[in-house]
Formats: sequence, structure tokens, C-alpha cells
Amino acid sequence: MTERLLNCVMEIAKRMIEVGAEIHRVEDSVGRICKAYGAKHADIYATISNIVVSVETAEGVVLTQSRRIKKSGTDIESLDRLNSLVRRMTERCPDAEEVREELEKIKKTPNYPAWVGIAFYGVIAGAFCVFFGGRTFAEIIIALFIGVLVGIVAKLNERFKVNKLLGRFLCSFTACCLGFMFVKMRVILTADNVIIGNIMSLIPGVGLTNSLRDLFTGDSVTGALRSIEAILLALAIASGYILTVYLFGGAV
Amino acid sequence: MMGGLVEVAAAFVGTLGFGFLFNIRGKKLLLAALGGMMSWLLFLLLGFVIEQEAVRYFIVAIMSTVYAEVFARVVKTPATTFCMVSLIPLVPGSALYYSMAYALGGSFEEFAGKALYTLELTAALSMGIVLATACVRYIFAFIAKRKGRN
Repeated sequence: MTERLLNCVMEIAKRMIEVGAEIHRVEDSVGRICKAYGAKHADIYATISNIVVSVETAEGVVLTQSRRIKKSGTDIESLDRLNSLVRRMTERCPDAEEVREELEKIKKTPNYPAWVGIAFYGVIAGAFCVFFGGRTFAEIIIALFIGVLVGIVAKLNERFKVNKLLGRFLCSFTACCLGFMFVKMRVILTADNVIIGNIMSLIPGVGLTNSLRDLFTGDSVTGALRSIEAILLALAIASGYILTVYLFGGAV
Repeated sequence: MMGGLVEVAAAFVGTLGFGFLFNIRGKKLLLAALGGMMSWLLFLLLGFVIEQEAVRYFIVAIMSTVYAEVFARVVKTPATTFCMVSLIPLVPGSALYYSMAYALGGSFEEFAGKALYTLELTAALSMGIVLATACVRYIFAFIAKRKGRN
């Protein structure tokens, strides 16, 4: 275990948290890598915003490094590749150069093009509009249409690095406003199902479930951070709805 | 009956959409969407025998975690791949919407009831996941140990 190698390991751990790995899994992976490379002892502490690793190498040198994590998201394909890199490292201990090269490759993991993402915002909205009881043709089409617009707003937020809460608020505001507008234009009778369908792609449902799971498994700091984030995001979405109601002078 | 089938189909399409947003690729995408569809199907079927939604949520969470852990080993990917998306149809989106509507309408009792109910469902969901994950991992570790010995 060398300083250079630990540097790579830290990058792997950081990337894993950024693409949405469980904290428990990250700590476990780093621990197993250190052991595979012959470390006598390793202390790892990770949360969603930072990670600290202290290792005592086979030669008795103590190495410590930390990383600050600012991004968060879900990218399963990257997670999958990082995971196989970790498995390879624990099985045959490649040197730091090779690990570094692999990591560079993983950073270039392909993602679906932006328009596919935007289209699927629409598909999600349409599907969940039906799911929650919207059965008329007009409702489904409008949910799909608004979903696509919400997707565009979400992508613009990403592009201009808008604050996460503000971004979620803008998405929710777009969805609610348009939903209310179509009711005013008498295209649909009620905006409920259309808005619920659109909210599904915005609400931090996965985040809330994960936060409680973290709390139950003992990662209390991460659990607390995640649940506060989920509550704030839900409030941002609610604010979008509230502003719309005030603009339209009451729910429609 | 018909309504149930429509819901299950919608759950499949919706989960598939989330699979695309989360950058899941290849056959994993299909397996994840199938997981989402099956968790809603199971939820509806359980409705015939169990009345309380929270209990049904708990059982569905256990089953879909088992599904995730098993298929994670079959296609060699972290269990998170399936865990993240297969429970999405159970996310209480409408509960959140109606809590907002009640809060704005000034009916605070209904708001508090709905919000607490949402929390109850989420707790049932995550307890199911934790319990099932722990059990499944012990079982797989046990099997691996037995194999190693033979």
C-alpha cells in the first residue's frame, strides 16, 4: 500500500458516493481493498459529504487521506463498473498506474443522451398519471407534454448548475402552473392526476427510503443528512405548488 | 380487476422510465422494470388477504429486496441497481400531493393524518428492506462458506 495507491482508492470511494452507492458498501469496499494490499489495519469513515481513511501499511507507515464530496446523483452504470474494479483489485492487486487508467476509463462511462432523459421525464409522468387514476386520453397526453417540459427545466438546471432546492422548486412550479392552466382552458377537468404524475419524478422517495434504511443500519450521520435533504426537497416541491395556487387565486 | 392490470402496466412503464434516468443499461434495465411491476402486482394481490397498507408495504419490501439481491448475483451487479427502482411504484407520491393540498386548504387535521401516514408507509418500506437485506446476506455468506468447505 503506497500513498499513490491510497490516492486512487480515495478517488474510487469518492466516485462511488457521487454516483449513489450505499455508504455501508463504500466503507466495506475500501476496507477490503486495503486488506488485499496487505495493510495491517484500516479505519474508514464515510458520509455523503466526506470520507476519511487511515491505513497502517505492512511496513508500519501510517497513511491518512480525506476527500470532500459535493456532487450527488444516481448513475448505476458507473456504479457497476466501479464495483467490478473493486472486485478486480481485491482479487489480483493491480498497481497504482493500472488502477488510475481504469478509473479514467470509468469517468468516461456513457450516459443516455439528454433528449432521451427529457423524453423519459414525459413517459414517467404519463405512466404515473395513469397509475394514480388518470384514465382519460386528455389527461395522459397533457401529463406527457408537461413531463417533457419539466424534463427540459431539469436539464437546464443541471446545465447552469442551479442550486438543488431551487431547481426542484422550478420543476414543481412548471408542472403545477401548466396543470392549472390546462384546467382553466377546460382541456381537463382536474389537474390532480397530471400533477401527481409529474411530481413522481421530482419527489425524493428513494432518498427518504434510503435515509431511513441508513438510520436503521447504524449509519446515523448519513441517515440524518439524507432525511433532512429529503424533507427540504419535499418542501421545495410544495412551495412550487403553493405559489401556483396563489397565482391562480385558489386551487382549481 | 381491469383497473389493477392497467396499474401494473403503468408501474412497468414508469419504473422503466426511472431506469433510463438512473443510467441502467442492457438486460439490467428490463430486470429492474420487471421488479417494479412485480412489486405492485404483489401489493395488489396481498390486498385480498391483508387490509393494512403498511403491512403490505413491509411484505412487498421484503420480497423485492430478495428479488434484488438474487438477481444482483445472477447478473453480477450491486443490489442497489434493482433496489433503487423496483420500489418506486410504492413511493407515496399522491400522499405528498394531497398533504400539500390539505395544508393549503387549511384542514390541518387531514394534513397531519396524511403526512404521518406517509411516514408510516416509508418506515414499513425501509424496515422491510433492512430486514431482508440482512437475512439474504447471511444466507448467501453461509452458502458460500459451505461451498468453500466441500
